[in-house]
Amino acid sequence: MVSVINTVDTSHEDMIHDAQMDYYGTRLATCSSDRSVKIFDVRNGGQILIADLRGHEGPVWQVAWAHPMYGNILASCSYDRKVIIWREENGTWEKSHEHAGHDSSVNSVCWAPHDYGLILACGSSDGAISLLTYTGEGQWEVKKINNAHTIGCNAVSWAPAVVPGSLVDQPSGQKPNYIKKFASGGCDNLIKLWKEEEDGQWKEEQKLEAHSDWVRDVAWAPSIGLPTSTIASCSQDGRVFIWTCDDASGNTWSPKLLHKFNDVVWHVSWSITANILAVSGGDNKVTLWKESVDGQWVCISDVNKGQGSMSASVTEGQQNEQ
Amino acid sequence: MEKMSRVTTALGGSVLTGRTMHCHLDAPANAISVCRDAAQVVVAGRSIFKIYAIEEEQFVEKLNLRVGRKPSLNLSCADVVWHQMDENLLATAATNGVVVTWNLGRPSRNKQDQLFTEHKRTVNKVCFHPTEAHVLLSGSQDGFMKCFDLRRKDSVSTFSGQSESVRDVQFSIRDYFTFASTFENGNVQLWDIRRPDRCERMFTAHNGPVFCCDWHPEDRGWLATGGRDKMVKVWDMTTHRAKEMHCVQTIASVARVKWRPECRHHLATCSMMVDHNIYVWDVRRPFVPAAMFEEHRDVTTGIAWRHPHDPSFLLSGSKDSSLCQHLFRDASQPVERANPEGLCYGLFGDLAFAAKESLVAAESGRKPYTGDRRHPIFFKRKLDPAEPFAGLASSALSVFETEPGGGAMRWFVDTAERYALAGRPLAELCDHNAKVARELGRNQVAQTWTMLRTIYCSPGLLPTANLSHSMGKGGSCGLQLMNSFNLKDMAPGLGSETRLDRSKGDARSDTVLLDSSATLITNEDNEETEGSDVPADYLLGDVEGEDDELYLLDPEHTHPEEPECVLLQEAFPLRHEIVDTPPGPEHLQDKADSPHVSGSEADVASLAPVDSSFSLLSVSHALYDSRLPPDFFSVLVRDMLHFYAEQGDVQMAVSVLIVLGERVRKDIDEQTQEHWYTSYIDLLQRFRLWNVSNEVVKLSTSRAVSCLNQASTTLHVNCSHCKRPMSSRGWVCDRCHRCASMCAVCHHVVKGLFVWCQGCSHGGHLQHIMKWLEGSSHCPAGCGHLCEYS
Repeated sequence: MVSVINTVDTSHEDMIHDAQMDYYGTRLATCSSDRSVKIFDVRNGGQILIADLRGHEGPVWQVAWAHPMYGNILASCSYDRKVIIWREENGTWEKSHEHAGHDSSVNSVCWAPHDYGLILACGSSDGAISLLTYTGEGQWEVKKINNAHTIGCNAVSWAPAVVPGSLVDQPSGQKPNYIKKFASGGCDNLIKLWKEEEDGQWKEEQKLEAHSDWVRDVAWAPSIGLPTSTIASCSQDGRVFIWTCDDASGNTWSPKLLHKFNDVVWHVSWSITANILAVSGGDNKVTLWKESVDGQWVCISDVNKGQGSMSASVTEGQQNEQ
Repeated sequence: MEKMSRVTTALGGSVLTGRTMHCHLDAPANAISVCRDAAQVVVAGRSIFKIYAIEEEQFVEKLNLRVGRKPSLNLSCADVVWHQMDENLLATAATNGVVVTWNLGRPSRNKQDQLFTEHKRTVNKVCFHPTEAHVLLSGSQDGFMKCFDLRRKDSVSTFSGQSESVRDVQFSIRDYFTFASTFENGNVQLWDIRRPDRCERMFTAHNGPVFCCDWHPEDRGWLATGGRDKMVKVWDMTTHRAKEMHCVQTIASVARVKWRPECRHHLATCSMMVDHNIYVWDVRRPFVPAAMFEEHRDVTTGIAWRHPHDPSFLLSGSKDSSLCQHLFRDASQPVERANPEGLCYGLFGDLAFAAKESLVAAESGRKPYTGDRRHPIFFKRKLDPAEPFAGLASSALSVFETEPGGGAMRWFVDTAERYALAGRPLAELCDHNAKVARELGRNQVAQTWTMLRTIYCSPGLLPTANLSHSMGKGGSCGLQLMNSFNLKDMAPGLGSETRLDRSKGDARSDTVLLDSSATLITNEDNEETEGSDVPADYLLGDVEGEDDELYLLDPEHTHPEEPECVLLQEAFPLRHEIVDTPPGPEHLQDKADSPHVSGSEADVASLAPVDSSFSLLSVSHALYDSRLPPDFFSVLVRDMLHFYAEQGDVQMAVSVLIVLGERVRKDIDEQTQEHWYTSYIDLLQRFRLWNVSNEVVKLSTSRAVSCLNQASTTLHVNCSHCKRPMSSRGWVCDRCHRCASMCAVCHHVVKGLFVWCQGCSHGGHLQHIMKWLEGSSHCPAGCGHLCEYS
């Protein structure tokens, strides 16, 4: 099913908390407890260290690549309460901006769809979500949603850019009238959907309740040919839910339990065409899920970190267990 | 922050019970020290000197040692230490340089015992000898350390650090005669108590002052030092030169460091500014604290483990005038909060997965890399098997490749590059694309293409096609050949599907896909049967059964024809522009040529096939209109496209949309089409398939999409006189106030195409210049240049 094509020797000195591939799938950014962010060129199964970014004073929890139309930009967030935006200039990576607007560990960063410009959402343990918007000439405008999640926010994920109505209807020359939305998950066991109002303020649009413990990750599915909005969420309680919204108003979301794992589920990640969901759990295993025709989510493969590649028979066996 | 967890530990007779608790002090504390019975704690500060009993639920004030009416400076304590052998013996270091000892056994209210006024400045630290009852050591701001025998009135010996000030002194636990001292200048000195003349050893441990040090309680000769440089370093003092074993980076300067009892690699630290928390670190994991106590609201000044053999109780005093007992169990553990896994779906369906690995696994997994000095120290050391590894971690990062079922996207790139979308007859496009899909192992898609071909250019309807006006001989030949091929060609697609269906158990993931495809096909068949009585739909079903058999019996049968078709198809250059061009005069010429060409070499690339493509396109239109109900197939096809799009295969949806063009376009609402187009174009661009993306944009019928190509094109116009950019919208230069680009013939501004002579740079309207040059070869501007236009 799945085989290791590359084991990256990151030489991180501590646990790695996040690994993200860039837009073109050629570079891999990793971040670790050892306070560093590293960028590798992973083309053709290689692994060349491009940059070792030092600047955080605590474990770095997450990294996020910006759309390449803005240049090579990477954001990282850390336990040291800071968000750093790194930029490649003439082949060298440097710190371009440092955001220190949170009172506690910053757990998650996510870039908005490129259509909106450079906007970064940051979720922190202080319960707030801040939105950094690049306004040109090295300036960033900060908007903050205070008390978005009590105890803390663990994950943020933007909705794909969808324009109400056809592009043709937009007055030419003007920026299309996007509705900006993102989802966040927090220690209050909730997933919240946020929407930008016309006055530029962010407002809580929906509260999705199903998890019984901290929500660890949320992932809004890319909108590739899909008529519905889909969000995947996973939690400390071992459950993974798929939330779908069919109506145009975006108000009715229904959860469907993908699976209940025996351990914490840390991450959910959609494939590029949004038809496969990768789920990684506390048992160091990644499972891939696909929706069958009758609407059921089936495990199509799993990746066990320990062995790397798994024989087909083992995969079968584990599927039966589940 | 009261937490209700309670811990009870039995330690050789004595029992420790307690919970996380705190009590308010009257004044900020500077230092604390615990009695050896672990039941009392002394708190000392500038204006406080009290003993508290540590009870189960609370601290109880037992004794106030500040007695007398006017407080003496001798009572302003910088440090306090309780003798670990004598429960009645205490020593304090005063800010005025006095070292005081206290005897709790004295019957009077004043417990003060001895007073040593030998230091000239603040005494930073006092320390009892761990095993010798009467030996006390002090270190002062004046740069001297003094050793006192409590049976004598004066110091026994004085040690000069040859440096500004002594921050800490600590007797070695391992060595009877040795003590360590740390200095403002970053040095650590090792002394033999019998040799006051010079230190045994000196080394620079930190950049900036070394505020504290602590010997490892287990007899290992390890010394931990903490400095203003925010680092805690662990030194092995047993070797000839002090060797740095570990280095922990904290976020603020380190004021105190204390090894945690019974945990070989743990130590607690607190800071003297900025950070109010107490951290417990595992020195092998120097980046994340193992535990964190967040009770204090101001700087923590003193920390002490309650019992030398109990790792769960920690006491602390703070500038916020409080005394705390912390339970290790109640500590917040940043490590626990941390996400041990990173997961990312790559563009090509590859999966990057970073996961925590236990140290044991790391040892075996990293064998090939031993000797690589980039790896952390603790991988190289032989690990003590008795020690628990929990909480220590490194991660392994792997990139996994998934198969098509698992989201691999190789097929997407191949398909995008090889699909033909325009410039050929519909049948050929369908055949070509079906072939591409089949070669990539995507049988369902191949089948769909074949079906589309059958639906939209059915061979049974060919006679109608022959009526068409411009059917060339070569073209019709080609078509028939294709059709005969096509029927058999359809079989392998179906055949293989059936076979796969039968082998269900073998490939589970495939089955899921195939099940769905099977349903789709069945649905379509049903719909056809129900929805209409056109016999064409039975053709599908029949062919499926019979040709399946045929194929299985004689698999080679189809092959001889295949290469022929390939040649025929690939001999045509992809020239989709021609579709858009209205038939011009060249067309007639082609027609004249075509019989000749097709008669001799059918597979030579010539204009004849292009001609046939015209005819075929028009034929299909005719067919569609005359023979089949327009809404019959279109519903089917529309559903099919939606199905593919929902499966995430927007490529198929868009490709079919382009290939079928007008036949389906009106059945799918504009917005959906647009969404598919933009999604597909986005994907193509992510895969850096710029050419394909451009082609799709060009072929797209959606207005919003086709204008994408023009979106980012900007023309910069400069004034022809002053060379300045023409910023305003008009045709007059802002700067020189002259009209730019005047026509030399009509003397009007040229607002469209401007043609000019590269020799004299005069020019004008294309039409005017052309006309002018018919009559004269000189420049119309009269400059005398013999203009040349190429």
